[in-house]
Amino acid sequence: MNIRLVCNLLGRLLMIDSLFMTPALLVALFDGTPDAAALGISMALTGVIGALLALVRPRSDTLRPREGFTVVAVTWVLVSFLGGLPFYISGYIPSMIDCFFETVSGFTTTGSTILTNVEALPRGLLLWRSFTHWVGGMGVLVLSLALLPRMGGRSVFLMRAESPGPSPGKLVPRIGQTAKILYALYLGLSVIMFFMLMLCGMNWFDAFIHTVGTAGTGGFSNYNLSVGHFGNPMYEMVIGIFLLLFGVNFSMYFYLLRGDWKTVWKNSETRLYFSIVFFSILLIALNILPQYGSFREAVRYSFFQVATIITTAGFGTADFNLWPMLSKIILFILMLTGCCAGSTGGGLKLIRVAMLFKGIKREIRRTVHPRGVDVIRMDGKAVDEDIFSSVALYFFGYMAVIFIATLIVALDNFDFESTFTAVVACFNNIGPGFGMVGPMGNFSEFSGLSKIVLSVCMLLGRLELYPMLLLMSRRTWKRY
Amino acid sequence: MNIVIVGDGKVGYTLAACLAKENHDVTIVDQDAAALEKASETLDVMCVKGNGANVRTLLEAGADEADVLIAVTTNDEMNMVCCLAAKQLGAGYTVARIRDPEYTESLTVLQDKLNIDLVTNPERATAMEISRLLRFPFAINVETFAHGRVEMVEFRVDEFDPIANMSLITMHQRYPGVLCSAVLRGHEAIIPDGRHIIRAGDRMHVLGDILSITNFFKKLGKDTKRVRSAMLLGGGHISYYFAKSTAGMGMNLSIIEILPEKCRRLSEQLGDEVNVICGDAAEEELLEQENLTQFGALVCLLDRDEENMMTGLYAVRRGLGKVVVKVDRPNYVDVLSDMGLDSVVSPKLTTADTILRSVRALARSQSSAVVEKLYRVVEDKVEALEFTAKEGAPYLNIPLSRLRIRKGVLVAVLVRSRKIIIPFGDDHIEAGDTVILIARASTIGALEDAIGEGDVRR
Repeated sequence: MNIRLVCNLLGRLLMIDSLFMTPALLVALFDGTPDAAALGISMALTGVIGALLALVRPRSDTLRPREGFTVVAVTWVLVSFLGGLPFYISGYIPSMIDCFFETVSGFTTTGSTILTNVEALPRGLLLWRSFTHWVGGMGVLVLSLALLPRMGGRSVFLMRAESPGPSPGKLVPRIGQTAKILYALYLGLSVIMFFMLMLCGMNWFDAFIHTVGTAGTGGFSNYNLSVGHFGNPMYEMVIGIFLLLFGVNFSMYFYLLRGDWKTVWKNSETRLYFSIVFFSILLIALNILPQYGSFREAVRYSFFQVATIITTAGFGTADFNLWPMLSKIILFILMLTGCCAGSTGGGLKLIRVAMLFKGIKREIRRTVHPRGVDVIRMDGKAVDEDIFSSVALYFFGYMAVIFIATLIVALDNFDFESTFTAVVACFNNIGPGFGMVGPMGNFSEFSGLSKIVLSVCMLLGRLELYPMLLLMSRRTWKRY
Repeated sequence: MNIVIVGDGKVGYTLAACLAKENHDVTIVDQDAAALEKASETLDVMCVKGNGANVRTLLEAGADEADVLIAVTTNDEMNMVCCLAAKQLGAGYTVARIRDPEYTESLTVLQDKLNIDLVTNPERATAMEISRLLRFPFAINVETFAHGRVEMVEFRVDEFDPIANMSLITMHQRYPGVLCSAVLRGHEAIIPDGRHIIRAGDRMHVLGDILSITNFFKKLGKDTKRVRSAMLLGGGHISYYFAKSTAGMGMNLSIIEILPEKCRRLSEQLGDEVNVICGDAAEEELLEQENLTQFGALVCLLDRDEENMMTGLYAVRRGLGKVVVKVDRPNYVDVLSDMGLDSVVSPKLTTADTILRSVRALARSQSSAVVEKLYRVVEDKVEALEFTAKEGAPYLNIPLSRLRIRKGVLVAVLVRSRKIIIPFGDDHIEAGDTVILIARASTIGALEDAIGEGDVRR
C-alpha cells in the first residue's frame, strides 16, 4: 500500500470538499443564524486537514487498484465525518453518531434521517444537508477527476470504484474529459429542473433543496411531510419526472446529445427500466384505487411513489405504509432492483437483474442441451464470463450484507418489518422503508450500534461493496 | 487530436502510451480482452473490443471523426483493409504497418490505391538502422533527415580524440561541413553555442551530409574501424532487407539460419554475394567454425532476446569491433548498455518511433500548419524539426547573423535544391528551403516561433 500517495490524494480531495460548504455558509451568513459559525469552522477544519495531508509527497505516482479503492472508501468515510461537524458544532444534532449517520445518508443519497423535526433546522444547515446529495450523487471523486489536473491513466480505478454498475466505462478517451461531460450533463439537468420548479411557483430555497435531492436521487426534504407538504400535483409531476430522468444511465444523455438516438432507443436496460416503471404505476394505481376514489388521484400517488422508490430517492407524498399489501410488495421489489447502472440511483441495478435472469435462462437451456454453447448477450454484445460471474457474486454479497446487517440491527428488538426494511432502505440508498421507518417515520429510535451498522450499509451500497470491504480487509494493508 | 489505434500489441501499446501522454484522445481497438484490460488500466485511453476491419467496430471507436488512424495489427491485410475502411468513413491520416516483403515490392501501387498516408515496415526500417550503424561503427545512434540526405550521428568522445577539450568554434573551423547540434553530458542535454568546450565522455550529435560526416570521422581517425564484413544471426525479414540494401557495396555477409527451407529461400533470393549457412547460431562451435572473429561486425537477429544478448556478449568478449543486438522487450536496453552492448535495435520501437514522428508533426502542425517532421532525440529531451520556408516570410534572404533567433534554438541545416548547407552567420534562408531546427522539446511550433522579424542584431 502506497500510503503517501493515498494521503496526498485524500488531502487534495478534502480541499475540494471543503469548498462544497460555501453555498450553505452564504445562506447562513445571509440569514445571520448561528449555524454560520459552525459551517465556517467545519469548512476551515476540512480545508486545513486537506492541506496538511496534501503536503505529504508520494514517492511514486503509481496508483494501483488497491490504492484507488482505498482512496475512494476512505474519502467517503472522512467526508461524511467532516460533513457532520456543522450539525454537531451548532448543537442541532447533539450525538456524534447521529451526525455521522445523517451526513452519510446525505452523501450516499440515501435520505434516511434521524431528525424527528426537520423544520427546526436553520436554512444553512438544511441546505448543506441536502447539498450533500448533489455532491454524492455523481460522486465526490468523479468531480475531483474533472477538476484536478491530469491524474494519469491509472485514475480509472478511482472512477471504477465510485461509479455504480457492473462495468463502468468512459464516454470519451480521456478520463478527465469523461468526468467533465458527466458533471456537465448532471449540472445541466439540475439547472433545468430548478427553473421548472421555480416556474411552477416554488420559492428558490425549496426549489434548490428539492432539485439537489432529486438530482442525487437522495430524498432529503426541508419539510417533515417531504414533498407531501406542498400538496401540489404540479410539483410532484416535475419532481417525479426528473427523478425518473436521473435514474437513467447518464451515457444515454451523452448519446442523445450526439444525435445517436438509435443506441438509446435500443438500449435494453433503459427499455426495461421504463416498462417496469409503467407497469408498476398501473398495478399500484389499480390496487390503491379504492383508497383514493378517483383513478386520477390514484395514478398521481402511484406515479410519485414508484418514481421515488425505483430511483431510490425516497421523497414522500403519501404514507405507503397504509397501502394494500400488493402495492407494498411491488414497492419493496423496486427498492431491491433500483434503477439503471451509471445513474445517480442506488440498488442492485436493473442491468444486473437482467443479466442474472439471462444466466438462469442459460442454466435451463444447458440442462436441456448439456453440450450447448451459449453466450450471454446484452444489447447485441457478448457479456464476458468474468463480468457475468462477478455480477452473480455481487448478488450473493449483496444478500449477505443485508442478512448480516439485519442480524445486528435485530438486537434492538423492533418488529420484523421495521428491522429488515431499515437495512434494505439504507443499503439500497432509498431512505424510507416500511413500518417504523416508513415515509412518515425516521431512524431516531435505533441504538447507536444499529446506526453505525446502517451507516456502513449505506456506504457499502453506494460504493457497491468492494471499496468498503477492501478497506476492512487485512490483506490491503500488508506490504506484500 | 483524435487518434484511433488498431492493434494493441507492443507497437500499439507503446504508441498509445506516448500519444496519451502528449494529450491526445486515444482509442484502442483490439480483439484480445486481456490486452485491452491492461491498456485501460494503465493508460488514459478508451478501449473498444472488436475486429478493426469491421466498419461497426471502427464507427464505435470513432474512426469517422479520427484525425489519425494507425493500423498496427500483426496482419498486413487487416491493416490495409482497416486503413481503407477508415479512409472511406472519413478518417484524416492513415498509417499502416506492412511487413511482408511480397507487398513491399508493390508498395507504391498499394499505398496509392488504398490511400494510405504512411506505410511502415518494421523489419525494413530496422535493416536500414543497422546498415547506418555499421557504416559508422563507433556511432551509438544514427538518424536521417530530409529524405536521407542529412545524417545525425551520435558518438562518445574519447579522451584521445583531437576534439576533446576543444571549443566548438575551433572544431567548426578545423572540420568544416559538420555541425555539433546537441550534447548529452551525463543525463543533461545541452544545445551548445560556439563557446561550448567538448569534454571526453560527452555524447555528441553531429549533423551533416553523408560525405562531410564521413570526412569528419576520417579526420578524427575513426574511419579505420569501418565495417567491411558482417555476420548476421537469424535469417528473417531483417536479414533479407539488410542484405538487399547492402548489395553491391562490397560488404561480405554471412547469414546463419537454423531452418533449411528459410536458408534455401534466402540463397535463392540473395544470390552468390551472401553466404547462407544452415545451423544453430547459438552454438559457439559453429560461430568459431565460420570465423566469427574475422568479421567486422556481428548482428544478432534471432527470435529470442536472451539468445541475442548472450551471443552478443560472447562476441564482445571475443573482441569484435561492432555488435548489434535486436531486442523486442525494450526494458532490457539499459542493462545492455551497462554490459557494453551500446547498439541495440528494436523493430517494434523503431516502428513506434517512425509513426510517432509523423503524428507529432501532424499535431504540431494543426496549430501552425508547417512542421513536416519532428524527431525526438537525445533521450527525448531535444527536438529536431523539419520545416519548409514559405514564400514571403519575413526572414528570407537576410543573413542569419542579422536575424533575431530565439535563444536555445539552432538553425542546423538548410537543404536548397538537393544541396546541403550547414549555415553560418553569412548564410541566409531562401524560399523553398528545407530548414532543420534543433531546439529543446516542445518549444517550437512554427518557423516564425524560432526566428523573429529580421534586421535586428542578435
